[in-house]
Amino acid sequence: MTSNPLALIAEITHRCPLHCVYCSNPLQMMGVESELPTEEWIRVFREAARLGILHAHLTGGEPLARADLKELVEAAHSAGLYSNLITSGVGLSESRLAALVDAGLDHIQLSFQDSREQSANWIAGAKAHAHKVALAETIRRFRIAFTVNLVVHRQNLDHLEEMIAFAEQLRPHRMEIAHAQYYGWALKNRDTLMPTRHQLESCLQVVGEAQERLSGRIRIDCVVPDYYARYPKACMGGWGRSVILINPGGEVLPCHAAGVIPGMQFDNVREHSLEWIWQKSAAFQRFRGEQWMAEPCRSCERRTVDFGGCRCQAFLLTGESSATDPVCTLAPTHHLVESLQLETDVEERPEDVVWSYRMNPAQEGRHVNSRPRHLDPSSR
Amino acid sequence: MPLDSSQPRLAAGCRWGKDGEDRVVLFPEGMIRLQGTGQTVLELCDGEHTLQEIVESLSKRYKTDTAKIRDDVATFLEALRQKRVVDY
Repeated sequence: MTSNPLALIAEITHRCPLHCVYCSNPLQMMGVESELPTEEWIRVFREAARLGILHAHLTGGEPLARADLKELVEAAHSAGLYSNLITSGVGLSESRLAALVDAGLDHIQLSFQDSREQSANWIAGAKAHAHKVALAETIRRFRIAFTVNLVVHRQNLDHLEEMIAFAEQLRPHRMEIAHAQYYGWALKNRDTLMPTRHQLESCLQVVGEAQERLSGRIRIDCVVPDYYARYPKACMGGWGRSVILINPGGEVLPCHAAGVIPGMQFDNVREHSLEWIWQKSAAFQRFRGEQWMAEPCRSCERRTVDFGGCRCQAFLLTGESSATDPVCTLAPTHHLVESLQLETDVEERPEDVVWSYRMNPAQEGRHVNSRPRHLDPSSR
Repeated sequence: MPLDSSQPRLAAGCRWGKDGEDRVVLFPEGMIRLQGTGQTVLELCDGEHTLQEIVESLSKRYKTDTAKIRDDVATFLEALRQKRVVDY
């Protein structure tokens, strides 16, 4: 018998006013015309709660781009789900937040691209930083959980201490320091995002010190980049084990990136119940359990700890989706990751950083933009 | 540590929910399942009962030395405060 899922990641839209270069959304995004309508989401939240799900993470894109967000929060709440809004804050006024809190919103997670305004706007490809800072103050007036999310990478890790101090004065309950994970747009920008080994080591030290200093006041969770880890991450807690992701069009996926794996077909909540999809659909069964594993995973004692790592990463780096995740030091293809580390592990920076900015399906896309680093005073 | 006059309550973003038939406390990173005395104590953390009242209520129920109960409850609440599940 399959265990029940605990969390639902509801990507309610791909529309977003920001163009963050590390966005986890797929390169091919859905427009507003394919988005699941309000009443379908309401039904899905009810089904999710019946299936045993406890937390609903409303994300996107920018979830505030949907005019019916309040109805969706209300539906998640009345189904008994704990609701979390993962947002850039663009499109959130005090009165809209008050309405969301009234509707039962439990937690808001506000992302920041940097502590320095110019650099933050450069990474986001939009002038959003000042609004976010002002919004943090507004959020503090409401009695909901507040997380500040800092996405870190090669371009901002050198002043992580400053970023943590910045986040601290926004007075959240919790801080999430998330290294960019190389899927979607982040994979496209990997060369300019991947930290050096030195940056990673000093990051772990800075985070450790901050955790001690802020203990009992602000909880700090840190997601490390697994390219430098000894063993792979237990991606999504194992394929089809605890998390369900629904994309804006209603397709149900085991993770953000599963669409990159060839031959994957995702069933849609417009046609099937969530319970059937979780238990029976081909996508969720494909890498569930251990049957699919090859050596060295199959006989490895860590197979119940990390579940063979990430299937998408295995495919993206080795071309084989059932291979051991190549970040694992035991993987026969680990040399692929080692050579990436070597290429990245140079302290010199290129003069120009060329990003591929995430596109907004609501507008004409902007593909590539660049700014010479030496003209950017905030990056010094 | 809480004072006798402290009025503990669930912290912002923490609330009661249900996992099947069990009452659980939900918070941003997950949930805790409480049983027995822990659940009784947390159910009394409504922002109105003082620590002293919580202790009195428990000592009536369990007929144990009040000082011992007070120590245990205060330690329990302080641990949950550190985890940001309760505040006072």
